[in-house]
Amino acid sequence: MNSSAKSNRSSKRSEAPRDTAPPEGLMESLYWLIRLRWFAVAGVFLTALAADKVLRIPLSYAPLYAIAAGLGACNLLFLVYLNRVRAAARPDLPVITNRLANAQIPMDLLGLTALVHFSGGVENPFAFYFVFHMIIASVLLSRRASYLQATSAVFLFLLMAGLEYTGLWAHHCVASSAAGCRRADLLYLLGAAAAFSSTLFIAVYMATSISGKLREKEARLRGANLQLKEKDRIKSNYVLRVTHDVKEHLAAIQACLDPVLHGLTGELKPGQVSLIRRSYERTEKLTFFVKALLEITRIKLSNKMETGVFSLRRTAESAVNFVEARARVKNIRLTWAVAHGVEEITGAQVYIEETIANFLANSIKYTPAGGAVDLLIGDAGASVLIRVSDTGMGIPKDELPHIFEEFYRARNAKAAERTGTGLGLSIAREVAEKHKGRIWVESEEGKGSTFYFSLPKTLPPPAQVL
Amino acid sequence: MAKILIIDDDPDIVESMRIILESCRHTVTVAKNGEEGLKEAGAAGYDLVILDVMMETMSKGFEVARSLRESKDNKAVPILLLTAIKESTGLDFEKEVGDKDWLPVDAYLEKPLKPNELLRKVESLLKKK
Repeated sequence: MNSSAKSNRSSKRSEAPRDTAPPEGLMESLYWLIRLRWFAVAGVFLTALAADKVLRIPLSYAPLYAIAAGLGACNLLFLVYLNRVRAAARPDLPVITNRLANAQIPMDLLGLTALVHFSGGVENPFAFYFVFHMIIASVLLSRRASYLQATSAVFLFLLMAGLEYTGLWAHHCVASSAAGCRRADLLYLLGAAAAFSSTLFIAVYMATSISGKLREKEARLRGANLQLKEKDRIKSNYVLRVTHDVKEHLAAIQACLDPVLHGLTGELKPGQVSLIRRSYERTEKLTFFVKALLEITRIKLSNKMETGVFSLRRTAESAVNFVEARARVKNIRLTWAVAHGVEEITGAQVYIEETIANFLANSIKYTPAGGAVDLLIGDAGASVLIRVSDTGMGIPKDELPHIFEEFYRARNAKAAERTGTGLGLSIAREVAEKHKGRIWVESEEGKGSTFYFSLPKTLPPPAQVL
Repeated sequence: MAKILIIDDDPDIVESMRIILESCRHTVTVAKNGEEGLKEAGAAGYDLVILDVMMETMSKGFEVARSLRESKDNKAVPILLLTAIKESTGLDFEKEVGDKDWLPVDAYLEKPLKPNELLRKVESLLKKK
């Protein structure tokens, strides 16, 4: 081979992303394969049982049951091993999973060859079940490894047929009469081998082509997603910078208006006081909005959120204290309770308190005078469930899916309260996501809403950064 | 009546604070940046220093606070820190204030300042002194 041909070949190889095993999702695929194998083991066992007890086919069933049991035992070992390496989170995890994928399929091929041998050899139509393994290999492994598995399967099939043909292996005939046995029919054997081999290689060619195209598409989508995330990060940095500058100017405006309003620069006429107060109040509202925008942008940008163990009871109490005065003004009955067993939790205390306070403040804001707001923190097994319910105006059904979106405010909320940032619930959602928790709402317009925040008990561990 | 040094590079905020503090008969001196503030503080014997966090750099105020604490003449002077970076940095000033190594100040106030809050804080720091 000349050097240019060599270089052509090598360049073709580097352009072919399908010739590498898919690293993403391989772990999940291995679990899927293990689940599938349980069904296969059960299938072999039940089929053998039916052939033995119902159809009464004269075969040696002990080896068939033994193979099923062996496959089951190997599957269990694979499962235990996979769980261990996953829990250990070793840096060479992708290499291990790839090796495991490459080891499992040959084991299945050997098992299937043995099963076919003990149940009719080349006469057994179930020999074409090898196709399933080829499809699995094409999904899990690289193109080259898939063809290697197909070659192994063909080799095993030919070896079995050859050994049975020469009489070195006993043939277990399943034909209804001895004349129907085809182990010594050379023409039949050659035809079966050709059909078997071509089926397997065609199956691998088709399956690897399809899965290769899907992998390429997935890689393109993943790349596009990364680009979007990077663009979002740049945008957030920009927003953070601009918003911070806006806040500085707002703080200066307020600082200048304040002494005037307080009469420190001399007596003002009522008209002047009114206008300055209006300006002051508008800057106050804008400052509140800017602060919320700064906060959500920072949380989105930050990968670090310091966590620790803290008292959920004290946090809830503090959040209630924060909104108590507002509830009193509107004559709203504010109740709260923390269940036993969830007094302490791990997380970012400041943000969790803010989320609870945010839920409560929202409920109080949109509940008419004389209504009720209740905070309940309960044990939900692996997580703590924080629930805030109210007897307020509720959220229109068609708006529920958007309620946690940034800057979103429901129609009735806007009509009732002109001002509002539309960021409070988005911040709560970010906090929940950073804690690997979940946030959702149930609501009926005119009757009230219930906001939920589910917080995992064990994640993240103490003193870890999110 | 106390001698108060304000170290802040925002002239509008400074002017507002000057009016508020002078209304309570305090004597106010202004420094426009960290270096000027440290020089002014020197051995002048101020009763209180009001210090902005973000001046020439995002954390200049922290550096100035540490320098004041390290100086012989100002290691005991009360320092009131002004900040507008709580939301953008996520710093929990409530917890961190008083940390000798990194935030050796006596109290903090968030911008925008409210006259009553500022006066309350100033009076309480002066009383402690």
